Amino acid sequence: MKRLIKIDFRKYAHNRTFWVLSALYVVLVVFVFMVTESFLNHVMTNVGKGSPIAIPGFSLYSFPYVWHNMAFLAGFFKIFLALLVIIFITNEYSYKTIRQNIMSGMSRVEFLFSKVIFVFFIALAVTLVLFLSALLLGLSHTENVTSSLVFSKMFFVPAYFLEVFSFLLMAMMFAFLLQKQGLAIGIFALYYYVAEPIIAFRLPAGVARFMPIKMITHLIDVPNSSLMKLFGVNFRETVSWIDVWGCLAYSVLFVAAVYFFLKNRDL
Amino acid sequence: MQEEILEIRNLSKSYGRLKALKSLSLTVEKGSVFGILGPNGSGKTTTLGILLDIIKPDSGEHLWFGQKPDSALRKRIGALLEQPLFYPYMTAVDNLKIIADIRGVHYDKIDEVLEMVHLSDRKFYKYSSFSLGMKQRLAIAAAILGNPEVLILDEPTNGLDPKGIADIRNLILEVSQRGFTIILASHLLDEVEKVCTHVLVLEKGEKRYSGPVNEALGGSLIVEVAARDQEQLQRTLRQIPEVKSVTRQNGIFVLDVHDDLSPELLNKMLAEQGVYLTHLVVRNKSLEKYFLELLSDNHEKTH
Repeated sequence: MKRLIKIDFRKYAHNRTFWVLSALYVVLVVFVFMVTESFLNHVMTNVGKGSPIAIPGFSLYSFPYVWHNMAFLAGFFKIFLALLVIIFITNEYSYKTIRQNIMSGMSRVEFLFSKVIFVFFIALAVTLVLFLSALLLGLSHTENVTSSLVFSKMFFVPAYFLEVFSFLLMAMMFAFLLQKQGLAIGIFALYYYVAEPIIAFRLPAGVARFMPIKMITHLIDVPNSSLMKLFGVNFRETVSWIDVWGCLAYSVLFVAAVYFFLKNRDL
Repeated sequence: MQEEILEIRNLSKSYGRLKALKSLSLTVEKGSVFGILGPNGSGKTTTLGILLDIIKPDSGEHLWFGQKPDSALRKRIGALLEQPLFYPYMTAVDNLKIIADIRGVHYDKIDEVLEMVHLSDRKFYKYSSFSLGMKQRLAIAAAILGNPEVLILDEPTNGLDPKGIADIRNLILEVSQRGFTIILASHLLDEVEKVCTHVLVLEKGEKRYSGPVNEALGGSLIVEVAARDQEQLQRTLRQIPEVKSVTRQNGIFVLDVHDDLSPELLNKMLAEQGVYLTHLVVRNKSLEKYFLELLSDNHEKTH
């Protein structure tokens, strides 16, 4: 496995697009983390100017809510990571280097496995970014830091990892199946933003609940806030085990789909 | 008993309605330089693609080193198929490092192979900056990296200048002398002739001939003759049964003669008829002639 990691990483290490997109992602996400609270408060003060009730300001960064809040925000940017994954996998087809790799002595299974590892490390890296950002924000915005405060609700961090990992495996599947960069990006985005929501809308709620994107995005729900509670809306503050198992099952499904597709195909 | 490096049994492949390979069978022995000849679309690249697990056959099987094909076995095979395939944004040496890692070859060998293809000074240049000839040479370097027991070369001299072509020919000879096996698909018939020990002729996915090169070439001689009285020469030649064909080329008659008739005997026979030759040259039958003959024979048979 170490050998596969070494081989695959060399392919990205020398690629400027990879580093630029990765850096942009990190900068963007951290920026959003830091700026959202003041942005929301600014919006709320403007909205609340004519209101008779005092509208409480947002406090996004205190423990234990910071984990949920940041994980939720980070979820909006997974599409950029999917872009990265699709670009690099479709590149192997357009340069035909997948052929060269197989001819040189890599098996198709090893090739697939090395891409799954790639996706895993991307998910791990962004989870680390989330963890460190939320930790630092939490530490600087909470008055009495106790370990129970810090660790409760920290499960949102691994939930985020699962969300990104499953999502990127789906992107990987689109990349392998469609093989052309523009096509894969276009159809994946279409499915994510348009096709599945429409299909889910047409299906009975019980079935729609189990569609892939639904399960992936359902892992981490919109965080509660005192404002929402004011309106009587109460979002989930936990991660449901149904979603966890569902995402794991879909992950296996995506990888299996690529395996069977790749196994008997001309390259 | 010669060791069989490769055995192919009844390999078939169709692309939609096009039958690229029709139940092809053959064996390649260790140490041979095996040429695959055939017009475009005859199935050469499809065959090589199947041997390298790039293309999946519809039926039939093949055995490498007597074993069922496996990615580990491919590490003992170096290949250049159709065109060089590398990461354009990476340097020559980084591209070769990837291949070295896949095959488990030490990085020291990289400098060696770059030297052999005369690309050492381009080691740190990006692949995207290479000319076609350089790309081809890098592909050959990648194929020989790690001293594989078998080399599969599909049109290796594509895009190379005459010096490059000569270099490849020498490389092939050198490698074959070390006991390695080479499978060479080429259009350059006289290259194949100079270098190969065995040849397979493919046409429309079927085997037309498979065997040693000298057998293919044997059986006849090409002789050039000329005389002052061309008409008389031509008439006399027609009477000799061992002369299989007579073609006129630039004032000289090029004859395809059965090798029972030696040039000395031919000269004597013509002199006895009063024809004195001004020009007599013996050329070995060329593979090109043989090849074209073989394929046109088949066309005659089927039309």
